[in-house]
Amino acid sequence: MHPLKREFLALGILALAVIAFPAALFGYQTWRTHAEGVRVIDLVGSSPDRGGWMPDAIRVSVGERVRLRISSPDVVHGFEIPALGVHVEEILPGHVQEVEFAATQARRYPFACTRWCSVDHWRMRGVIEVIDPSQPDAPPPTFEPPLYQQLGIDIDALHPAQNVPTGRPSVARGAQLNLNFTPDFRTQSPGDVFAQLRADSAYERYDDMQLWDAIAFAYARSAGNGSIARGAQRYARDCAACHGEAGDGTGPAGRDLPGLMAMDPSTEAHDSAGMVSGPANFTDAAQMLGANDAFLQGKVLRGGMGTGMPEWGSLYSEQDLWDVVAFLRSFTFDIVIK
Amino acid sequence: MTRTKLELTRFPSVKRLLTSRWVPWTLMAITLPVFLLAILTGLFGTPAGSRNFGIIFVWIVWWALLILVMVPFAGRLWCAVCPIPAPGEWLQRRALVQSRPGGKLFTLGGKFPRRLKNIWLQNAAFLAVALFSVVILTTPFVSALVLLFMIVLAMATSMLFERRVFCRYICPVGGFIGLYSQVAPIEVRVKDMAVCQSHVEKTCYQGSDAGYGCPWLVYPAALDRNTYCGMCMECMKTCPHDNVGIFLRAPGKDLQTTQGRRLDEAYKAFIMLTCALAYSIVLLGPWSLFKESAYAVGTLAWWVYASLFLAANLVIVPGIFFACTTFARKLSYNKFSLRRTFVEYAYVLVPLGLVAWAAYTISFVFVNFSYAWQVVSDPFGWGWNLFGTANWTWTPYLAGLQTFLQIPILLVGLIAAIGMALRTANSQGVPRRAALPVVTFCAAFTVGLLWLYV
Amino acid sequence: MNFHLPHGRYYRYLIAVSTVCLMFAAIFLPLPVDAYTPETHTLQINARTFAFEPGSIAIRRGDTITIELEALDAVHGLYLDGYDVNLVAEPGKSASVTFVADKDGKFKFRCSVACGALHPFMIGELNVEPDIPLVRALLITLMGVIGALAFFWK
Repeated sequence: MHPLKREFLALGILALAVIAFPAALFGYQTWRTHAEGVRVIDLVGSSPDRGGWMPDAIRVSVGERVRLRISSPDVVHGFEIPALGVHVEEILPGHVQEVEFAATQARRYPFACTRWCSVDHWRMRGVIEVIDPSQPDAPPPTFEPPLYQQLGIDIDALHPAQNVPTGRPSVARGAQLNLNFTPDFRTQSPGDVFAQLRADSAYERYDDMQLWDAIAFAYARSAGNGSIARGAQRYARDCAACHGEAGDGTGPAGRDLPGLMAMDPSTEAHDSAGMVSGPANFTDAAQMLGANDAFLQGKVLRGGMGTGMPEWGSLYSEQDLWDVVAFLRSFTFDIVIK
Repeated sequence: MTRTKLELTRFPSVKRLLTSRWVPWTLMAITLPVFLLAILTGLFGTPAGSRNFGIIFVWIVWWALLILVMVPFAGRLWCAVCPIPAPGEWLQRRALVQSRPGGKLFTLGGKFPRRLKNIWLQNAAFLAVALFSVVILTTPFVSALVLLFMIVLAMATSMLFERRVFCRYICPVGGFIGLYSQVAPIEVRVKDMAVCQSHVEKTCYQGSDAGYGCPWLVYPAALDRNTYCGMCMECMKTCPHDNVGIFLRAPGKDLQTTQGRRLDEAYKAFIMLTCALAYSIVLLGPWSLFKESAYAVGTLAWWVYASLFLAANLVIVPGIFFACTTFARKLSYNKFSLRRTFVEYAYVLVPLGLVAWAAYTISFVFVNFSYAWQVVSDPFGWGWNLFGTANWTWTPYLAGLQTFLQIPILLVGLIAAIGMALRTANSQGVPRRAALPVVTFCAAFTVGLLWLYV
Repeated sequence: MNFHLPHGRYYRYLIAVSTVCLMFAAIFLPLPVDAYTPETHTLQINARTFAFEPGSIAIRRGDTITIELEALDAVHGLYLDGYDVNLVAEPGKSASVTFVADKDGKFKFRCSVACGALHPFMIGELNVEPDIPLVRALLITLMGVIGALAFFWK
């Protein structure tokens, strides 16, 4: 071969290697992520201390087909848009997960990380704003106020039950007693129910523990086993990191919540002024039996307002909230969850 | 010991391959796009290192090939295919494959400052990389910047200075490849010294129509060690008398002579030995304080770590070794200067350091090798799946069996080091017992590594 | 003192062969192990970015151990070399495994779920004592040193 020809051949191959090759890489990526009629959005989820969701606000139109390409640069995250039924169990670092959705309703859809990714995990939220281009100024849909507000309950006040059982009320023992009463636990705390029954001469022949067993049974029956089981899953995913798998308020993520003072899980959950000084202890029978379900639901829904307890009202459906509350009872009542 | 060596260039096919002007270019034309991909993935790919081609291919695949295969068995072979000096060299030559009449280069052609014509710069460059290695090894973006900086620096030095000054005096990797390449069972040497002595033109150094003068600033006839020969095979092309060959030889032959041992190379040996130990403790040990201090660049903890790291490399380990050689002189009424004794014994650490690096590498390369399958299919972490392996899970290979490789390898290095220590005493004309302090040092180092790994 | 060692090729063969034989002996020699009644331990290991706490654990061979892995900040794993144990935990969902530590030696455990920059170096170690492999390695090294000295002394 002529020397100059040789040189040009080499130059040509080299140009392929250093110019065409990188161009092909980026071209392939552009081609891969392009889809006709679908809006592709890259969503990067980092732990909140490294920026959280990027972007954390996404604007789309009603009916628009959206494909999210979700990735993580640091730890394992999860992803959920509860109101749209979009759920990604696991976003491993450096992997891309794609989900598609189209919203039919003009409203705000909150989304959130579903795997604990740092102590600030619960801050890792964002919102998808769905706008109806034909009605840009439509008023947001209205919601019924939650039950605790309708009842006028102060969910920041202490609420200990007057009577506390000496043991753990058992649903199984309660079932054998075969007492037939159906209190409304949403408005009545188990403690209230106990006080009523105790005052009622019809129940004189039962001792205190038997009454508590009966109340536990009545609670389990009213909640339904499916609800408690669903609540158990939700609790493990969203609550146990702070409140502990045993419900005693000693979960790893609750040990050094930022901005809280006197955070020592070994001390009482409430100080003398009634301020929360750590994640609530659900094995504290006095506090739990003194609260009705509306109170507990309110806490979960609204959050702790500065204590580190996040609000779940924007992510949970009404039923989700009742499920979690029903499961919380299993820390004071002996319920077999199937 | 044995003087027999096998000339590989005796075989016409090998000879043809090595004298072809296409071969070095072809190899670099393969490694350069891979290198480019490593930079691009680092700059634009996922920040998750375990899923980034740049991190996995440079610090696991390339590193394992280099330290476990290429350096111990083929010496400086990597330097012959390394893409870093390639663009600069092509610019210098204004040619990719071709030779130019008289081997003329296009460069300002400055001579490298005389005081820097040693490997102290390489020692400093390696230490600088080593000091930040916890960040460089784990952060794709930083890793890419380091690679980019190296290739730009290599181009700049090619324009300012003659030949491959970057490779010879600056490259942080080249320093230890050169040091450890003395162990390799392969060498480029002249066949008959008399032919060189009668050859006036010295085309191997000056260049000719057939090729360029030695890019590594080495006069081939003076080669008695692999350290500074980049195995680029230019001299094989420019020698008009077919007097340069590539030979198989006894491993570690370069280390049998104590001639020409230098303090800068001795320090390279200390730095490498210390770093292998330091990484084994900091990166692979169970002590999180060390890892976190090394990673938290700029904090007080990092400054403490940095000071300790540099002190260990430059003062503590050489100091202990110095004490050993002082003791060695006391034992033998050595007539040589303390400095010469110190420097000559330091080369004992060449086989010891190489096996220490091999042991260190074995303990993380196999367990993390399965990341390579993922990044081959998805180099950027952009959700690609080119070969269907993107979702293969992390699978630790040889987990729990690494020690069965590490122990014999460490032992081979220790035995070689003991042999060298005794030979050094012998070459200084003193009783063998003079080598005992250095032997103790080597044995203690090996025991320390065994304690860390077994 | 002056050593007068026999010279020549046979001497070196002798040294090399006997050193290798001694090394093999050190590998296969049954070492006396004192009688020990195995115990049962529960090891609570906390995983946080990027460390296991405690990072170093010592038990005796034959012990039955339960590893309870609690993740403090994000999803972490624990892969134990040599025992092929793999646990994955996240805050609120701890994981545990029970096994008999029937192999002695030093076994590294590493995070098995990518958790950020230092993830590949998130390493702890389980020391199953008595560490016979280390004893054997040191014995072999000792043989090697003596053998090498004898071999190269000439």
